[in-house]
Amino acid sequence: MSYRITQAGKHSLILETPVMNAAGMLGFGDNYRDLLKYEKLGAFVTNPITYAPRSPANGTRIVPLDAGVLVHTGLPNPGMNKVISGHRAVWEKLGTPIIAHVVVTNADEIRRCLQAVDREEIIDAVELGLHDETTPAEVERLIKVARESVEKPLLVVLPFNAVQDLAQAIIGAGGDALVACSAPRGTARDSSGKLVAGRVYGPTIKPLNLRYVGQLARRSSIPIIGSGGIHSVQDARDYLEAGAVAVQVDAAVWSLPKLLENISREMGGMTVTQPIDALDNWDSE
Amino acid sequence: MKETQAIIERVRRINETHQQLYLAIDPALSGLRAGQSVLARTGSGWTPYLREQWYPVDVQKNTLIIERPAGLRYEPGDVVSLIGAVGQPFKFRKTLRSVLLVAYDSEPTPLLMTISALLPQKVAVTLLLLGTARTYTTQHLPPEVEVLHGDDDLQWANRVTTVGWADQVFVTTTDQDHYTRVWHLFRELRAEIPANYLWGVFHPTLGCGVGACSACMVKTKDGLHMVCTDGAALDFTKLSWGT
Repeated sequence: MSYRITQAGKHSLILETPVMNAAGMLGFGDNYRDLLKYEKLGAFVTNPITYAPRSPANGTRIVPLDAGVLVHTGLPNPGMNKVISGHRAVWEKLGTPIIAHVVVTNADEIRRCLQAVDREEIIDAVELGLHDETTPAEVERLIKVARESVEKPLLVVLPFNAVQDLAQAIIGAGGDALVACSAPRGTARDSSGKLVAGRVYGPTIKPLNLRYVGQLARRSSIPIIGSGGIHSVQDARDYLEAGAVAVQVDAAVWSLPKLLENISREMGGMTVTQPIDALDNWDSE
Repeated sequence: MKETQAIIERVRRINETHQQLYLAIDPALSGLRAGQSVLARTGSGWTPYLREQWYPVDVQKNTLIIERPAGLRYEPGDVVSLIGAVGQPFKFRKTLRSVLLVAYDSEPTPLLMTISALLPQKVAVTLLLLGTARTYTTQHLPPEVEVLHGDDDLQWANRVTTVGWADQVFVTTTDQDHYTRVWHLFRELRAEIPANYLWGVFHPTLGCGVGACSACMVKTKDGLHMVCTDGAALDFTKLSWGT
């Protein structure tokens, strides 16, 4: 069985199983090679890549929370060209489609990054990460530039705080799929009492994102990839029942690497049927 | 690196503040050496959410001995999921005769496996407890280990002698400011800090623990290194913020 997770067309992305990791969880290459079978995943999503190299954030980067974690890495990476040249050989051996997660802030960076990605045969699709404060007008402009720069399927991660505002802009500008959505931002004290801002991961995120996915699936026809708070096979099923075509598993894999493989195995070949009376629950107040 | 199951065979209270867990482990982990650790997950829930980094204090055949705070509850028969080995072994000098272990405002646990590794080789081991590490009780340690206590301002008796006598020093503390203070102290007490002499043993809260999340990255003169895969010990002379 195969799953088309982007718009139909010349460059659709079709996966054997509708399960992948979220960006930032499994690294750029094969760090988890001894702990999970990459070939069992629908796709591998790289850590965030920027055009220029980025250094790690200063201060505390991980704050454990009750049933969750706050993460602020600063998206360190050696830059687009070095990531590609340094990992091309590894990606060729992973045995699963590669989705490059690209983080950009302006049109020039988008153009340079995506043109580099488009030249790489080993990369199957691009996932674009947007800044949380990006406006619909900016998003539309950025996605149009992205669309002009890359022929490969273009997935766009919706910022948590602007899912509804940005979704239409992304669809209108030519995005091939929406990832709903990025981990929300939060602030927590580290063990020394300092306040740290970062993205929040944990099981409590799932109900929030699940609602977004349900709403988006009913208001648009673009494929939606559900992401956020998946910690069990049932969590993944819930996203598919809400209308997602695939799911991304995030920080749970750090604690249970095999979970990703297990969900992937369980979801492969799954056909979702939805009870008719469940369809109207996504917009209720 | 492998994910395996271990069983707690014995829980032994060693002092007022700590207990030791004797874990029956997969043979794959029996090669663990001083400086390396395991990522442990106990129970089936999501609290704690992340795996805990456990530094063994000893490995005996297929038994791993772990030191944990006494307030945490463990029972013989409990199953623990372990990922390991995490990190690189300490790089001891071939001609090592005396080693200084320093815990400053931090439990000395990441350093303690050094004791069982080096005492049989007739290496003299000194444990220096500074700041809040002074509260760590040491009666359970082998009598051959010399234990020194210092204060919050990094003062202790015979500082110059202690530092000059050690062939290698391994320091564990809490954050960058503390490591910087230690670096300045040693530069004050020694005319020269050679490479492979003063090592920082880092133990930030790890996200993934396998080099994927980049949360434990440290800047060095050689570029960026991950504490989880390249550490836990990093040479002070190579740290870019330590100079």
